[in-house]
Amino acid sequence: MTGKELLEVVEAVLDRARVPDVVASLSEHREAAVRFGQNRITQNMDKFERKLRITLGDGEKQSVYSTHRIDVDAIPDILAKAMEMLRTASPDPEYMPPVEGGQVYPIVDAWDDETARMDPKERTEAAALAVSTAQAGGMEASGLVGGSYANTAIGTSTGNLAVHCATEAYMRLTMDRGKPSSFRLLTSDTWGELPVEETIRQVADEVEADQDQHDLEPGEYSLLFEPQAVADLVPFIAWSLNARPADEGLTAFSGKLGEKVTGEKFSMRSEVNGILKGNPFNEEGLAARDALWIENGKLLAQPCTRFWAKETGREPLFIPGTLAIAGGSGSTGDILRGVKGRAILFRRFWYIRFVDQKELSLTGMTRDGVFLVEDGRVVHPLKDFRWNWKPLDLFSRIQVLGEPEKKWQLSVPPMLLGPVVL
Amino acid sequence: MIEDMKELAERVIGQLHHRGVDFGDARVENTDLENLTFRKQRLAEAELQVERGVGVRVLVGGCWGFASCTGFDAAEVESTVDRAVEVAGAGAGVMEGSVRLSEEVPSVGHYDGPCAIDPFKVPRTEKLDLMARAADIMHASDLISMSWTNLRFERKKRVFGNTQGTLVSSDLVFTMPLINAYAVHDGDMQSRGFQDGARIAGWEWVQEADLLLWAEKAREEAIMKVKAPEGPTGTMDLVLDGTHLSLTMHESVGHPTESDRVLGWEASMAGRTFLNIDDQESLKYGSDIVNFIADNTMPYGVASWGWDDDGVPGQKWYTVRNGIFQQFGSVRETALLVGRKHSTGCCRAQDFASFPINRQPNFYLEPGSAPVTPDDLISDVEKGVYIEGRGSFSIDQRRVNFQFGGDMFWEIRNGKKVQPLKKVIYRSRTRDFWGSCDGIADSSSFRTMGLLTCGKGEPMQAARMTHGASTSRFRDIEVGRGAE
Repeated sequence: MTGKELLEVVEAVLDRARVPDVVASLSEHREAAVRFGQNRITQNMDKFERKLRITLGDGEKQSVYSTHRIDVDAIPDILAKAMEMLRTASPDPEYMPPVEGGQVYPIVDAWDDETARMDPKERTEAAALAVSTAQAGGMEASGLVGGSYANTAIGTSTGNLAVHCATEAYMRLTMDRGKPSSFRLLTSDTWGELPVEETIRQVADEVEADQDQHDLEPGEYSLLFEPQAVADLVPFIAWSLNARPADEGLTAFSGKLGEKVTGEKFSMRSEVNGILKGNPFNEEGLAARDALWIENGKLLAQPCTRFWAKETGREPLFIPGTLAIAGGSGSTGDILRGVKGRAILFRRFWYIRFVDQKELSLTGMTRDGVFLVEDGRVVHPLKDFRWNWKPLDLFSRIQVLGEPEKKWQLSVPPMLLGPVVL
Repeated sequence: MIEDMKELAERVIGQLHHRGVDFGDARVENTDLENLTFRKQRLAEAELQVERGVGVRVLVGGCWGFASCTGFDAAEVESTVDRAVEVAGAGAGVMEGSVRLSEEVPSVGHYDGPCAIDPFKVPRTEKLDLMARAADIMHASDLISMSWTNLRFERKKRVFGNTQGTLVSSDLVFTMPLINAYAVHDGDMQSRGFQDGARIAGWEWVQEADLLLWAEKAREEAIMKVKAPEGPTGTMDLVLDGTHLSLTMHESVGHPTESDRVLGWEASMAGRTFLNIDDQESLKYGSDIVNFIADNTMPYGVASWGWDDDGVPGQKWYTVRNGIFQQFGSVRETALLVGRKHSTGCCRAQDFASFPINRQPNFYLEPGSAPVTPDDLISDVEKGVYIEGRGSFSIDQRRVNFQFGGDMFWEIRNGKKVQPLKKVIYRSRTRDFWGSCDGIADSSSFRTMGLLTCGKGEPMQAARMTHGASTSRFRDIEVGRGAE
């Protein structure tokens, strides 16, 4: 459906609903991808979903109804079911009417026609190149190459209407030869911008460099994180950031607004239409805006629901799907060459989970791409090991920041952290 | 509705025959979902969802193609068939196809999952009243800062048909009650909840779960836990209840014994396994008393669907018998590759919109045959920890090196539970851990956990399966404290 057609359905729902408060959204999502493993294609897919979501409110209670059954003729029946759900809901002491009319939605240019066409030949050839490169080097390739688009229209009974369309292209690639392995992730809103061939060659070279892994000797080391390693840790901070759970004493950010929560060199913000392309509205129809969450280690703002904002005198805010960590200049290699003494280089982490949410303490493993560094040069790869860290403590040790790279909806720099005992 | 869905599946199969594919199948699904959530003492979410659509999988030149659409519109479904054939052809155009499926006897039939009281016919006011009472009980103490009470009901009607003559359907009701209480005290926060998860069952599972009793238990134990001392560190014995072991076995037994992992198909996402194909029927996995039984016929197990997404019937087999690894769980495509003639029926997709992959079955640790209680196991522990429920978890990509937390901890000293603890974690390696199991209680302490959100695959899919165990004892395990 075109954006106009999506909006027509949304407007039809708004027109026909017989309650004062309505939010309706209609979304389409198509994703096409080829998956490979053991040097063979294991899946080749093209998925399509269209979903209508209706939130109804009568001033004291509300309910949500969503369905895959979508056409204008079905709307009366859909609304009847939604109304029945509303009728039986219990009163909501935190009831909020829809967002005020006149929301100004940022225009986010995240669409690429070529990516949206989803030519199966291009992604399949990329997978075939990864496989043939791996085979030539006596390795196995596995991963996923594909793209997607998402079109969403939203309307509120307070007069807001908006459409947002976005494309995404990606390649996740692992190559291994027994224990030595490497992984890289490429993402862009434009298929043509993915450096597919170069990355396939790079990953194959990195497998060669991962041979002859040594045990990690216990001791004190500086930590050098590639952007992917930082990207693996940052979401856990974002998931802990919300204002209300913090105010209720549940998170590491309880009572910390306006205070230092990590080191001077750590800043985290969200942007809606910069290098990162965010969502211009949330599922309530609230307009997104750029936000600076942590600046130079100080907690400046927290995502906050409209109800909690009203209760606490704050501004309603949400993370529009993007997070950017402030960086500096230079690559991981540039930082590595400046390392004095011993450091460990981490390309990525594996299976990270909370150990204690109140402490924001995490556990995880390494999985390939771990190297001992001494005085600016890589000495040898290391075997995988388990770690238990608190990321806010880690980021209080930042010594050097490099140039950020895009990893999905994150912009993350490489960073050198002061010594820790491992 | 099932008859209409069957008719649609048959129409798709006809279109696949007409297009001359080597093999094809169709999955037609309709899912009604009711999700009710209290945050503290307030109904925060009342949501109904209707999900319906068709997934079409084809083999062309030995290469897979898959496409899906939402809704049952005839024209849209036929264009989905064309898209599946197109993407399969794109694969066959650049790489030699190698897919071979195990030969299975075609199935025709229908399966109704157990459901004594249809939860969609229980008045919503009764559900909300129960939830409100549970929330009130949890918040009877000011130390409870937050709580969740959730009831989730799902009716999934599914039809599977393929070009080899299989046409099966099932009607499954999934019911999941959940509560969790969060206590805040002296700068710390700890939680406790009901974690038995989902069952293929109706409202009777909510009644059996007794949320009001659990609300009180969650409140009291969350408070106990937040005031408790941190756990000891060092090497000691563990006594673990069934709801805790359900996660440990899921990560360290269920995942490593998936056949797609040993083949490397999950290497880039979920990871591989430490097992090799020729470890079947020979590798020592645990102590002699360790028996893991896979069972996709368990009456309320959430992977008991009648037939899997290959159209293969649910089965029961030993994954580990007398401590020896027996065989991988497989799908039609992997069975031959791991040296088996037939699939174990472990092919499942998240929904009609996902490509079906090799998933864990329901499986459980077989209870001990002698009359042994949890207290009997504890009585023979000089120094250790008793753990109930699930907490933090992490394991390496080959499923060897793991670390687990829990939901409730008790210090054991000289054969007795002496005090509650908090922030306990333990670390071990899969075969060392199961090799250290020297006591399994009888079936009177058997507990299950039905999981709806096992993540695997790319794009990520959530799958469901049930695990169970009686309380069991493990010797000389490394115990630590949170972030140390």
